[in-house]
Amino acid sequence: MQRAPLLIAAALCLSAGAATQAAPAPLAAEKLTVETLPPQSPHWVYVFDAAFDNEIDQRVHLYDGDSYRRLGQIDAGFTPGFNLSPDGTKSVIATTYYSRGSRGTRTDVVEFTDNTTLAPAGEIVLPNKRVMTSPNIFSVAYSADGHFVYAAYVTPAASFGVLDPVQKKVLGEIDTAGCVLVIPSGPNRVSSLCESGRLLTVTLTNDGHESARAMSEPFFDADKDPVFVQGIPTDQGYVFLSFLGEVHAIDFSGAQPVFAPVWSLVSAEEKGHWRPGAEQVGALHRKLGRLYVPMHAGGEGTHKDGGTEIWVFDMATHKRLARWPVHAGGLANVMAIQVSQDAAPIVFAATATADVAVMDALTGHVKHIEKHLGQTPWMMLNP
Amino acid sequence: MRSLDQIFEHSSRSLAQRTSRRSLLASLGQLLTGAALLPLLPIDRAGRAYAAEGKAKADSPQSCEYWKYCAIDGFLCSCCGGTSSSCPPGAAPSPITWIGTCHNPGDGRDYIVSYNDCCGKTSCGNCECNRNEREKPMYRPSRNNDLNWCMANADSNYHCSVSVILGVAEK
Repeated sequence: MQRAPLLIAAALCLSAGAATQAAPAPLAAEKLTVETLPPQSPHWVYVFDAAFDNEIDQRVHLYDGDSYRRLGQIDAGFTPGFNLSPDGTKSVIATTYYSRGSRGTRTDVVEFTDNTTLAPAGEIVLPNKRVMTSPNIFSVAYSADGHFVYAAYVTPAASFGVLDPVQKKVLGEIDTAGCVLVIPSGPNRVSSLCESGRLLTVTLTNDGHESARAMSEPFFDADKDPVFVQGIPTDQGYVFLSFLGEVHAIDFSGAQPVFAPVWSLVSAEEKGHWRPGAEQVGALHRKLGRLYVPMHAGGEGTHKDGGTEIWVFDMATHKRLARWPVHAGGLANVMAIQVSQDAAPIVFAATATADVAVMDALTGHVKHIEKHLGQTPWMMLNP
Repeated sequence: MRSLDQIFEHSSRSLAQRTSRRSLLASLGQLLTGAALLPLLPIDRAGRAYAAEGKAKADSPQSCEYWKYCAIDGFLCSCCGGTSSSCPPGAAPSPITWIGTCHNPGDGRDYIVSYNDCCGKTSCGNCECNRNEREKPMYRPSRNNDLNWCMANADSNYHCSVSVILGVAEK
């Protein structure tokens, strides 16, 4: 007899619960749309994924260092070169496709992407001479005024193509006498790195033909201490780091390159023991004059091993400001580095396990680790 | 020690910077023809940057630590259906290559090796190996392993890499 009230109460509870659960409205029908990009941010970074395990399918991921989201992708083909236009509104990719996917007729081509939509924005078919190498900013590059695009050729004979990115055509080919890559300066100059340690500088006419050429004095010795080809942009030119840690700042703003006095990332005690090493070996915040370099302890032959630490230098005083060990922060060796150019800068550090860390560029604090941003993120560029 | 790679380096350097591209090509052509019995010029590919996966033993051609691989960069053909000196079935050897010198701890000798790529198929993806002893940037192509040395093949896609003994390095 005493059970009856309990059973009635339980039944009331169940019916009340059923009444509230039955109520949810159905989800509204969705409309399939295409996302649009937000306005360009200084904290965007274009992450070049060399997709080493399937190289015919390389790509560039656009990533936002504030929201920690991937914003989109640019397809990049086989062993491509990648760069941005001077105003950041276009991406340019020099790449190769085969008519049957991984084989068949080869087509070398320069492709443009509208960075406000990530949609293709035209192409220029090249002669089949394009350099096929690891990511760097000198495989394909714009002139400072955006009038020309230059594409490095290696067959293995070295030369470069001069392209018109507006009319979408090849204007000509310039022989570089064994010197390689395209280092743009001003509206109409291209320099190339030579095995002799010199820079060859070719000046072009308005229609893209050679008007003059000059060879610099040697600025490095390829036998004793070669420089990495991954240049780091400065306001007047580029910095090149050597295997042993020397800093060669070169002013490309005049008709001929001017070499600043060389200084070193390492002390006399550290030389030969600590050294720079990565696929992208440095980044510079141009206004702050801070240089970020992945460094590791190692000997000859370790120049691609990646950094166990990021060292921060003041370009004016040449003083080391900080050492940021990366393993303690949960990162593998740093293979590529970039820094935003704004007043609240962030460093992007891509690792050997394909993670990309977002770090406070002033303190080294790791704000976020984006796991597996591609397979082999070996170069990063930002607007 | 004056090894074949040093000889090649000096000749190619002077060729490259003192002659026109046409004459450079002519000279390279002679070199390629003349080297028909040797795997040719400077070699290897767009590569990864840390010493590798591979299988455990340093005396195994399937290990990145194998002595012949001291400056190889890519996927070991011995893990892809080939050997340390042969391409996998259906792949084509690169006619151009780069040359290095590796020390064989087994007999105490230095050997000149050529690092050829095997071409015409997409990345093997197995046993990635990147070692860089005496490797130089691409302005010295005869010692550079970042270039895709399948570049001059009819089908220039990169599949894997081998290390072929050319001879004992002169002391």
